[in-house]
Amino acid sequence: MNRLGRALPHDSLLHRRNPTVKLAVFFVVSVLLLVPVDPWTPLALLVVAVPAVLAAGRIPWQTLGAAALLFGPFACSLLAVNAVTRDGPVVAEVLGLEVTGTGVAIGAALALRTVLVGILAVAFSLTTDGARLMTSLHQHARLGARPTFAVLAGYRVLEDLPERWMTIRQAQSVRDPRRRAGTLPRDPGSLTRAAFTLLVVALRQGERMAIAMETRGLGSGPRTVHRPVALDRRDAVFAAVVLGVCALVVLASWHVGVLRTWDTV
Amino acid sequence: MNRRRISLSELVLLAVLAVVSGFVYWALVQAWIALQIAMGPFGDLAQHVLIGGWMVAAPLALYIVRRPGVGIVVELAAALVEVVFLASPVGPMLLVVGLVQGAGAELAFTLTRYRRYDWGVFVASGALAGLASTALGIVRFGWLTQDWFVWRLGLQVASGILLCGVAAKLIGDALARTGVLDNTPLGRARRQATPNPVPVA
Repeated sequence: MNRLGRALPHDSLLHRRNPTVKLAVFFVVSVLLLVPVDPWTPLALLVVAVPAVLAAGRIPWQTLGAAALLFGPFACSLLAVNAVTRDGPVVAEVLGLEVTGTGVAIGAALALRTVLVGILAVAFSLTTDGARLMTSLHQHARLGARPTFAVLAGYRVLEDLPERWMTIRQAQSVRDPRRRAGTLPRDPGSLTRAAFTLLVVALRQGERMAIAMETRGLGSGPRTVHRPVALDRRDAVFAAVVLGVCALVVLASWHVGVLRTWDTV
Repeated sequence: MNRRRISLSELVLLAVLAVVSGFVYWALVQAWIALQIAMGPFGDLAQHVLIGGWMVAAPLALYIVRRPGVGIVVELAAALVEVVFLASPVGPMLLVVGLVQGAGAELAFTLTRYRRYDWGVFVASGALAGLASTALGIVRFGWLTQDWFVWRLGLQVASGILLCGVAAKLIGDALARTGVLDNTPLGRARRQATPNPVPVA
């Protein structure tokens, strides 16, 4: 969170890949993962993906593990709620709720899918520079200059948000007669007021940046790109390998007879 | 309906809205995780209580900029911010989520040809966003074959109405009162409605 769109400060195979290609491949894999609802297919993909992103991105396993803890509760609740709300043979009874075999299988599949996509999302974020991605989207995905630079301007606002948030909260706290020294108020009213002020301040900053960009003629014609992003054969190889491995795992799962979809579960 | 090309200042305003929304959405994810843990085995239902908060940017952007498509664009941009800059665990599917929720929220404004911005349209916008989000959940998580579908649908629509539609109107009006939106279509519409507004201290 504190990195806000900045990749880990080292070089790796994943760092060097074109950000647009990485995003597109990640998107295709995420869509592909909507198909299987058995636990074995996402588990096999997870077993392949974790060492692959750790090695290819040179990501410390502690960093990946700490990030994975964030989406652990979501995965657990998916498993719990599906286990007791799906029709099928009853395998146990917990707190008066019937746990079905079908529910456990679907819940485990959805939980593993969540963990897998979460790990890929963290790996993508840790190896992709946000500004470089926007430049690449402009160069290679034909995103117009005006929306590209508008998002980059928004990115500048985003970078300032944590500091502004703290300044606003301290300023509001210092005027609060009920304040206790060394602490900031955490009640919902204070947080809502601070969030609204943050929005107002950000909109004012955006207006000033828009005037500055218009003054410099941005959007009035074609523009050159500072530090263009490369797109070459290695990106095609990367996409082919990732998508090929995913297809192979799904095919193997189907061949073994464990692949289930919403129609066959 | 205004067909003039969207200006750079409006684009930057949308980007700033998307960024702040993305930031707030990320904070909402932390609240969602806490609520999930608190609700134990029913934690999966926590997302329905909060879902409207993740869709508020679309009607708010439409209220301020009043141009076709901006609801979808701002939700897509907020999703991009979450995926790229804030490492959302949902991954790039969040772009599809943003697209569907933005389209649902925008439908109410499209049906009124972007000419009405009263409470009824905002309530309809929130309800349609909740319905669109439920339809996507049916595809992604197979909600239709689960026991609690009616609960999911009801909570999503109620949350959509309150935290998306009604909240967008309240936030838009509050922002306009500060004067920060004076140079936007919303600010101009308010000046036309009240020619001599009393300045807010």
